[in-house]
Amino acid sequence: MKKRVNIFVNGVERILEVEPWVTLLEAVRGLGLTGAKLGCDIQVCGTCTLLLDGRPVSACSVLAVDADGRQVLTIEGLGDKNRLHPLQEAFMDCGALQCGYCTSGFILTAKAMLEESPRPTEEQIRSYMGGNFCRCGCYPEILEAIRKVAGL
Amino acid sequence: METFVEEDQVRRLDYRAKVTGRASYLADMTIPGMCVGKILRSPVPHAWIRRIDVSKALKVPGVVGVLTGDDIVKEEGIDPYFGPVFKDQTLVAVDKVRHVGDPVAAVAAEEPQAAEEALSRIDVEYEEVPAVMDVRESMRKEAPLIHESVRIPEHGYADLAELRPVEGTNVCTHFKLRRGDVEKAFSECDYIFEDTFVLPTTQHVALEPHGCIASVEPDGRIIVWSTTQNPFVVRTQLSNIFKVSVSKVRVVVPYLGGGYGSKVYPKVEPLTVALAKKVGRTVRIMLSREEVFYTVTKHAAVIRMKTGVKKDGTLHAREGEVLLDTGAFAEIGPRVAKKSGYTATGPYKIPHVKIDSMCVYTNKPPAGAFRGFGVSQSAWACESQMDIIAHALKMDPLEIRLKNIYDEGDEFVTGEKLTNIGLKACVEKVAAEIGWGKEQTRRPEGAIVRGKGIACLIKATITPSISSGVVKLNEDGSVTIFTGTVEMGQGSETTMAQIVAKELGIPLEKTQVLGVDTDVVPYDLTTSSSRSTFHMGKALQLAAQDLCHQLRELVVQEYGVPIEQVKASEGKVFFGEMAMEYREVLFKHFGMQGGTLVGRGEVRTRTVDEKGEKVTSAFWFLGAGAADVEVDRETGKIKILKYVSSVDVGKAINPLGCKQQIAGAAITGLGQALFEEMVFDNGQLVNPNLVDYIIPALGDMPDVIESISVEVPHKDGPFGAKGIGETSLIPVAPAIANAVFDAAGVRIKDLPITSEKIFLALEKGSREKS
Amino acid sequence: MRGFEYLEPTTLSEACGLLKRYAGDAKVFAGGSAFTILMKQGLLQPKALVNIKKIEGLRGIRYDPVEGLIIGALVTHHEIETSELLKEKLPILCELEHDVANIRVRNMATVGGNLASGEPLTDLPCVFISLDSKVKISSSSGDRTLPLEKLFVDYYETALASDEILTQVMLPPLEPLTGVEYLRFSSSSVVDKPCVGVSTRITLDAKSQALRTVRIGLGCVAPTPIRARRAEKILEGKPLDPQRLAEAAASASEECSPLSDLRGSEHYKREMVRVLVRRAVPKACKRAQGS
Repeated sequence: MKKRVNIFVNGVERILEVEPWVTLLEAVRGLGLTGAKLGCDIQVCGTCTLLLDGRPVSACSVLAVDADGRQVLTIEGLGDKNRLHPLQEAFMDCGALQCGYCTSGFILTAKAMLEESPRPTEEQIRSYMGGNFCRCGCYPEILEAIRKVAGL
Repeated sequence: METFVEEDQVRRLDYRAKVTGRASYLADMTIPGMCVGKILRSPVPHAWIRRIDVSKALKVPGVVGVLTGDDIVKEEGIDPYFGPVFKDQTLVAVDKVRHVGDPVAAVAAEEPQAAEEALSRIDVEYEEVPAVMDVRESMRKEAPLIHESVRIPEHGYADLAELRPVEGTNVCTHFKLRRGDVEKAFSECDYIFEDTFVLPTTQHVALEPHGCIASVEPDGRIIVWSTTQNPFVVRTQLSNIFKVSVSKVRVVVPYLGGGYGSKVYPKVEPLTVALAKKVGRTVRIMLSREEVFYTVTKHAAVIRMKTGVKKDGTLHAREGEVLLDTGAFAEIGPRVAKKSGYTATGPYKIPHVKIDSMCVYTNKPPAGAFRGFGVSQSAWACESQMDIIAHALKMDPLEIRLKNIYDEGDEFVTGEKLTNIGLKACVEKVAAEIGWGKEQTRRPEGAIVRGKGIACLIKATITPSISSGVVKLNEDGSVTIFTGTVEMGQGSETTMAQIVAKELGIPLEKTQVLGVDTDVVPYDLTTSSSRSTFHMGKALQLAAQDLCHQLRELVVQEYGVPIEQVKASEGKVFFGEMAMEYREVLFKHFGMQGGTLVGRGEVRTRTVDEKGEKVTSAFWFLGAGAADVEVDRETGKIKILKYVSSVDVGKAINPLGCKQQIAGAAITGLGQALFEEMVFDNGQLVNPNLVDYIIPALGDMPDVIESISVEVPHKDGPFGAKGIGETSLIPVAPAIANAVFDAAGVRIKDLPITSEKIFLALEKGSREKS
Repeated sequence: MRGFEYLEPTTLSEACGLLKRYAGDAKVFAGGSAFTILMKQGLLQPKALVNIKKIEGLRGIRYDPVEGLIIGALVTHHEIETSELLKEKLPILCELEHDVANIRVRNMATVGGNLASGEPLTDLPCVFISLDSKVKISSSSGDRTLPLEKLFVDYYETALASDEILTQVMLPPLEPLTGVEYLRFSSSSVVDKPCVGVSTRITLDAKSQALRTVRIGLGCVAPTPIRARRAEKILEGKPLDPQRLAEAAASASEECSPLSDLRGSEHYKREMVRVLVRRAVPKACKRAQGS
């Protein structure tokens, strides 16, 4: 049976009627916000990363009903057309992406990390960011971009 | 002519869309009226299909239709058989299933759940037959035959014309390379080494799974949106399969979320089109992660290498047997076998050679193109054995390589002369950067030992091939670029724009690269084989030069100036005292702000050059890698302190892009070296998911990773550039294996180099000592 | 993953009542990290999920001088990772959580879910067992407390009845001069599931420096996390010496029953138990001295 949920997506309240098994990823992509991707469906790759109340989660495995009344941030909600987020700028400057499929997940995760720990140690960066995969192999550039924004 | 300098480094054109989530990939597209397609796959590795009953599936609410083998065999308008080399694949299985995951039927439904429900209600009766999962087993006389017969297409690839299946066996290609007299040569050698090396089946794991949206219009026109690296090949194959002219097939390609070879040649497209045709609706099929493992893999291999050397370390003879496991379908395996065969001699001069490289069917999912294309297999064997030889002769592994390595002007194993070869420079640079021969400043403690290893390679690019490019000059002096090269992360969109902008002398902002649409852009063979900068970049450079020529012609017409006195560069046409911007020239000619000039360029490479000499490759990939590792002798765990890659890029048009490709490919190479393996048990794939199929994570990276671009320009490349996408992946595994040997004295000959293998080898070694 | 009702009780008794009513057809649902995988694979097809995230009293970490550390079942791995209280009282937990799964899983997956899943390839249960932990379990019939060791029955199987909810984990206070070390071994990538986990808790005798209390927990190498009791006895009551340590390590490697799988053969895992025990015990002793 469908449930009615109110999810604040990028600060805007969205009212959805969903079956309990609909994932947050499906719900958000269904709203046309396709920056978060489906990569592995098993919480490993990180391409589906969204921020739920500011915390990175695997949206492919979060039930949309569990996001009721909560804040969801997607890549589309970061920066605006006049000014991008410093992480978005740094990723571009440092060449921290190639095919771009993992990029939304990395940027959102890095944003959450820097909000929790503004000056992370190398160990903290590895532990926080280490679960986002990049098959094109941009890890060196991604680390460079994050360090740049953190002022390290 | 101007060339590229450091200041030309630009921010990539696709970046803004990608960092804002605005870039559209296949899964993000919606076509009105689209319904969902899902595939029913064989649960068994080898069986006859005795019966399929879809009646219950058709009754599921929301189901639009179902496709089975019957549909494609009975339908006059469909040729069920296709494949890049041999026509041994069918859109869905028609008589037999040949691997776990082999498509058996497909369902179209309004919603994914209805499609899944319908799949579960399709009844299939299989009559299982013995399956063969190992390439050596598959070559035995008693092995079950996987393909009763193999159809040869009428017009195949020129470079594969002589490759034919061996009747009555599972060998679908036997490539032979012969040079000199190996038997006699072995008798002349001081030492002979014989080793067997093994590589498992692995997967590309592009983070974006394969997908296809297909629509068959009422007039028979086929439109396909696909995650393909070579839309024109897909177009040709669809035209053959569905018996319509090429003009009736349109293939559109958005940005790809990675390819690495997994998305070349038809994959999901033929099935999706057949399903769309059957149900009369636009259908989208997106593969799940598990399904991608069943769709295409990298060839597993067993390589026996027998090498004879003189006591001074000169390589004198090599006999090699390369068995490539191509899985259930040949796919592009025959070409992989050929490439692997050519490079079984490595980047070394060996006068006497006998190589047999075979592409063999097994009941695994089909193997296809993978970044490195047969050369990571041959290099694993060749570069590992080089160190075995060096150790036995008490020679430095660097020294023995430099002694035998190809240099400018040397003859390749096929007899042709090698030119524009930056191989020695690559080897010397990685050796220097890794501190080869230097004393360790930090001595590891306790159970930790440390060592260094090096490896190098030569690889060819697909030859012959074709790339055509068009550049349209608009009335305001801006240009529109038509290219069939697919942007899959390598930055081709930007590189092409840079080449055209540089050639015309206009700012990058005045260029626009169109999306890939076979209705619009001219023919390009493929975005693979690291070929696009060299071939398409050159074609577009030629197209830009064609525009310059046309502009000069217009000035000649208008002003009566001799053409030799007219120059076009920096966005202007110069003659006498005059300097006219391109748009002024156009305005003068057309008499208004309007009109178009179209510049064309084409690069066609051949297997024979103007002098009648054989050409195996339009340009060569040269590279080297070196690793500095620590091994924990108590656990077998490897820690990579430093990894250095060097690649001869010809000319770095985009230095950051070169660094990304070189480091990026090396990181994938790391996974192939240390972690990656598709594990089969009784025909079943045990780990078709990313929890159990391990790819390199950020934390697995070496402490230091360096990428060095060497520039030995190629006279035919745009501004001297060559291709670089695959090179640095290839030496990683042997460099690490060699470093492990240097550190711990154990030689691992089968990939991946796991900590357990090292531990067991050390355990065995100490048992034998005591 | 489909076809279930999503029930959202706001009290523990309501939740227990629902579980009882559904008689095994309903599952407790917290972070969902483990469950979504099982449901997507079709291995679990419950008629209902009982979401316990809206129930008061299942969150939070607190310290009681008698009971010790009390961790609510809904505490996430990331909350453990960043807990100031745990950093002070039991830093090993914060440290090991840096390497558990990935940040996204750590934000959703809960301690209760981790224990209740019976997942063999995981870290916390092994450490908790070496700490003599207990768990509190609630049902419509009331509450009960169980030593954690008794919670685990087999691979993916616990002693929780279908109408029971695990509500908290209790870790008794540590005596002075106690050190806890956990070593996790991955045979492949740093983010892979652990191949072997070894946790040791050592309490030193103030005067003789003998190992007064020894606990050795082994994870991933048996159907459940276990204590290597014979190994403990070899070390207990005497000062640390290399020979006894080697004996204890060898014993631990024989007390477990690892399976050969993708992450290692049985032989290799036994050898890694031996190596890790040999490495973990001195580290725990060092921490004990520093405490």
